[in-house]
Amino acid sequence: MPNLFTLTLQLAVVLAVCRVVGELFRLIHQPKVVGEMFAGIMLGPSLLGWLAPHFSAYLFPPSSLGFLNALSQVGVVVFMFLVGLNINPGELKKESHAAVLTSHVSITAPFVLAAFLALYLYPRLSDESVAFTSFALFMGSAMSITAFPVLARILTERNMLGSRLGTVAIACAAVDDVTGWCILAYIVVLIRSAHSATSIWITIGGILVFGLAMIHGVRRLLRGFERSYKKKGALSENLMALMLLLVLASSLLTEYLGIHLLFGAFLMGAIMPKEHQFVRYVLDRFETITVTLLLPLFFAFTGLRTNVGLVKGPQMWMYCGLIILVATAGKLGGSTLASWLSGMPLREAAGLGTLMNTRGLMELVILNIGLDIGVISPALFSMMVLMALFTTFMTTPVLRLICGKEIEESASSKMVTRPASAPAMNLDNSESFVA
Amino acid sequence: MSRVGRNFVIAYIVLVGLPLVGLAGVLRSGRHLKAPVSVDGVWKIEAQNSSPGNHLCNAVSNLFNSPLLISQSGRSFEISSKGNPATSGVLDDKNLTSSMWTGSYSACGNGQITLAAVVDPTAEPRSLTGQLSFPGCQSCAPVDFRAVRQPKVQSGGGH
Repeated sequence: MPNLFTLTLQLAVVLAVCRVVGELFRLIHQPKVVGEMFAGIMLGPSLLGWLAPHFSAYLFPPSSLGFLNALSQVGVVVFMFLVGLNINPGELKKESHAAVLTSHVSITAPFVLAAFLALYLYPRLSDESVAFTSFALFMGSAMSITAFPVLARILTERNMLGSRLGTVAIACAAVDDVTGWCILAYIVVLIRSAHSATSIWITIGGILVFGLAMIHGVRRLLRGFERSYKKKGALSENLMALMLLLVLASSLLTEYLGIHLLFGAFLMGAIMPKEHQFVRYVLDRFETITVTLLLPLFFAFTGLRTNVGLVKGPQMWMYCGLIILVATAGKLGGSTLASWLSGMPLREAAGLGTLMNTRGLMELVILNIGLDIGVISPALFSMMVLMALFTTFMTTPVLRLICGKEIEESASSKMVTRPASAPAMNLDNSESFVA
Repeated sequence: MSRVGRNFVIAYIVLVGLPLVGLAGVLRSGRHLKAPVSVDGVWKIEAQNSSPGNHLCNAVSNLFNSPLLISQSGRSFEISSKGNPATSGVLDDKNLTSSMWTGSYSACGNGQITLAAVVDPTAEPRSLTGQLSFPGCQSCAPVDFRAVRQPKVQSGGGH
């Protein structure tokens, strides 16, 4: 049984610290989510545990972390459902050659560079229980991910959502996320099957059957939600509960099949009807409690697992610097080059590259999975968290530096077509970062 | 095929296709790399030479009463057990060395314990044999120990 006093105290402290730091970050023109990520790190051994070890041990005793993790994972399951809900696969098909090339290069460039870096880091930061292939593929997928929700948030705040730059960025981020998660699913299956008696082919077969059933079967049934919403202008409590049940069932199935439960939540969101008003309605219902309470718990739990103290000595900091350099060169450089070759002006292309380099919360989700399945070590986890923070933090100032006000102004005058997922964006809600 | 279409195909091959070939090469060459031996996990530790006359100080007794947790990152690791703060150590091939502070200044001298052990990577379950010594305590005899790694608990998933 959890100690209710400890758990309630943890919730209160996490909530308060995340709100305060989030607001402070907004003062320096950073999305609130970046502040919340920092707040999580501050509550962990990197700061609180270092400055006040006894208070830290009192506030977060090891025996309580299981409950904190369970609560935060529920939040991440709902969050992944909302991320999937925001992605509109139908709209992605309409994107131009430029967007297709940019999105694919923005995956392959960081992926390949990360694999090269893995050749150097594997003998230094891993151990023989992890196969090189799993290590390299994980590094690749972790570096090629883009924080779709944070990117949407930044574009919204800078009034760039309807611009060509915003449209291409959103489309590329969506492609990146779907691809990144597919690769990650493969890695999880690969690693878990090594410890499981079930053949990998049975697992892969099961996943394929599940995916096809979801896309071609369940997807049609889900239209009933949209029909009901159109008829009554709202969904009944029973229907909302049913939707949540479907998310949980899908999560459980993917967990049972040997991939992570987050994939099921993401897929359920991705196959939901994409009518603008309906998506916005569902987001409004789920977002508040997820974003306000549950996700800060995830940031805190991630922070508790992040120990910057493990990155000690010039050599370890050099590894960390290399990771940040490779991640930025691959994502920012690759996306800039591809969009520039596709005909985008250099400055706009660099802006797109900067946006694609935003990793944010999605990176933390992936890194936690990597640490859970043992494919990355605690020190590497901490370095990658620092990389996620650095690349997310740099987005707004670098974007301002590269694009200045020109692009933003032209963006607001060119609000012609909404991007792939823009209709689902909750533009009025400055609190939101899921949308 | 139009000029735009042809340029797109060429750009796609150069910017996406070629890197993927490079990736295949990296994955192939990386298979020959050797990473440090794995010591990560929970270890059950037992004293080998604790005779009735050899009184262990409280901190060392605690060490043998609770499992030892090793968190590995390449050649470096953190070692911790219940009641003792986590300390770092270094893995050199199969040899582990770490210096722990128990915080106890009583029978263990100044509370410093040095751990030196050798891992047997062929043993299943994996085992460690080594010695705990007390640099701050002239009268304390070193304690030999043996530790066996406990099976990992699967964190869900799979069927």
